[in-house]
Amino acid sequence: MSRQIATGNAACALAVKAANVDFIAAYPITPQTTISEKLADYAAAGELTGKYLTVESEHSVMSAVAAAAATGARTFTATSSQGLLYMNEILHYAAGGRLPVVMVNVNRAVCAPWCLYADHQDSVSQRDTGWLQFYCASHQEIYDSIFLAYKVAEQVEIPVMINYDGFLLSHSMLPFETLEQEVIDNYLPVRQPAWRLHPLWGGTFSNVAAAAEYAAYRHKLARDTREALPVIKAAISEYEKLTGRPQPGLIQSSRRGQTGTEGQTGAEGQTGAEGQAGAEGQAGAEGQAGAEGQTGTERQTGAEGQAQVYLLSMGSMAAEMELAAEELTRQGISTAALKLRVYRPFPAEELAALLPDGSALIVLDRNLAYGHEGGVLLMEARSALYGCAKNIKIAGSAIGIGGQDLPVSLLVEEVRRLLEVAKA
Amino acid sequence: MLELRIHGRGGQGVVTLAELLAKGALKAGKEAQTLPFFGVERRGAAVKACVRIAEEPILLRSMSYQPGYIALMHGNMLPYAKLEGFRQGKEAAPVFIINGKEPLEVEAEQWLVDGEGIAEEQGLVFGGEAYINVPMLGAVARVMGLPLEDIEAAIREQWPGQKAQPNLAAARKAYGQVKRVENIKNPGETEKGRSRQ
Repeated sequence: MSRQIATGNAACALAVKAANVDFIAAYPITPQTTISEKLADYAAAGELTGKYLTVESEHSVMSAVAAAAATGARTFTATSSQGLLYMNEILHYAAGGRLPVVMVNVNRAVCAPWCLYADHQDSVSQRDTGWLQFYCASHQEIYDSIFLAYKVAEQVEIPVMINYDGFLLSHSMLPFETLEQEVIDNYLPVRQPAWRLHPLWGGTFSNVAAAAEYAAYRHKLARDTREALPVIKAAISEYEKLTGRPQPGLIQSSRRGQTGTEGQTGAEGQTGAEGQAGAEGQAGAEGQAGAEGQTGTERQTGAEGQAQVYLLSMGSMAAEMELAAEELTRQGISTAALKLRVYRPFPAEELAALLPDGSALIVLDRNLAYGHEGGVLLMEARSALYGCAKNIKIAGSAIGIGGQDLPVSLLVEEVRRLLEVAKA
Repeated sequence: MLELRIHGRGGQGVVTLAELLAKGALKAGKEAQTLPFFGVERRGAAVKACVRIAEEPILLRSMSYQPGYIALMHGNMLPYAKLEGFRQGKEAAPVFIINGKEPLEVEAEQWLVDGEGIAEEQGLVFGGEAYINVPMLGAVARVMGLPLEDIEAAIREQWPGQKAQPNLAAARKAYGQVKRVENIKNPGETEKGRSRQ
């Protein structure tokens, strides 16, 4: 493993290069563009094993990668905002066709008005296309999620969209560790599709279906999507074992010893990975990881055990939310941050298991659920906890829209306001 | 944690400055983060970038509103720094690192470096413009207490081969020449590793 510092988009391109992708199609859009540029550089330098195709629009991008995936290829593309929206029709095709495309969506606000900065409206508006959706809060998570996404997509034969915030992660630099090629090849062997199109074999793809066949097919996609949760957990666990690097679970609590039902993954070799972070003054974080064997991406917060207040969010703000939880705890409100890594399928049981009876759940969304208060996570959380035997108070709001900056002070203030709402 | 905010204009190499500083910090065994803000992504428009250097992994994802250090690519960027905000008062104000020859009217510790002079001397002039980001990198590294050798290593990675030479020379020169303004209201002994959050 080697440690380096680069932008989130550079981390993404490095991982895609290492994942032995057969086919890439891309069309530029801010803030994704530097991913496709970097991959084009790799292709020009002969460093990519696969083909790189430039096309004239995102609709064609998704058509090309879906078709390539149908021939058994491992495929990749990246987009943002309007580009993702323009793909919408083919997103349904890719999921319905059970084509394990992996796409990065660098989250950016949608028009109108025109805006270049981060929020999650683009990806959450594609929730019901049948794609799995992962979210990242650090460059390490971006790098690791590429391999995880292929592992899962090719096993369940459902496409995966990896999301991370434009500029805040895509254009910022943070350190991350890369893996040896051998480790990656071991984790991601050559794709073995259950079927594929081939000129010599005949066969068709996506033919007309009568209602009975169609319904059975679509219900199976819905069922397989829900059943992808244990597959994702196992893929995370295997990744940890192979890399010795702690991984966040489906929902990661900032509290040590809090795992819900997400199956705490392999503890061995974790101190090693932490130790390589290399800077002095790390002893605290290292010691905690060693003692508890907890899976934390970056560091452990001081507190242990259950909290009274839980802060659910996804994307880059989930990292800063850990600092907000620490600050609230200092102010006398025992608080933990919950970082949602997997939004589709939604880990409802894991969420319910993490929350103690009598606690409060504050949900902060970087998107708007029009016609409903707050954003989509608030709806998901309410749905997940409805009928749950525990008494949990829930409140939430939409913040950080269009890249509005979210410093700790603002998060703390918003959580304190929402706690009053939850009480009432 | 050390926090730096750089104010300059599109095309001056502010982002490269931030990235080289962060790379140097990583080589010095630190954690680091850059957070550029491009605005409208146009040459000549006001831009800013933040750099954080810390001992522990960085969880912040927001800009720096109360940095311990502010770098100005020109004295006339001061209004932008004021607009973005910084701590006021003798003790609390950030340390300013300014490309220029004259101190500014701001109650704070100030360090000056002649970025244009150094850039011209090293032939870092492109399209008739002196590129001051590498001299500023040397100056900022010196004031923030980063070892010169780590900055040099970052420069060599950025510009492999001969192209590194004028940049290395410019960074070294600025590292040596950046000078604290004496007799302003808030001198203080803050040559190395000053930590203000």
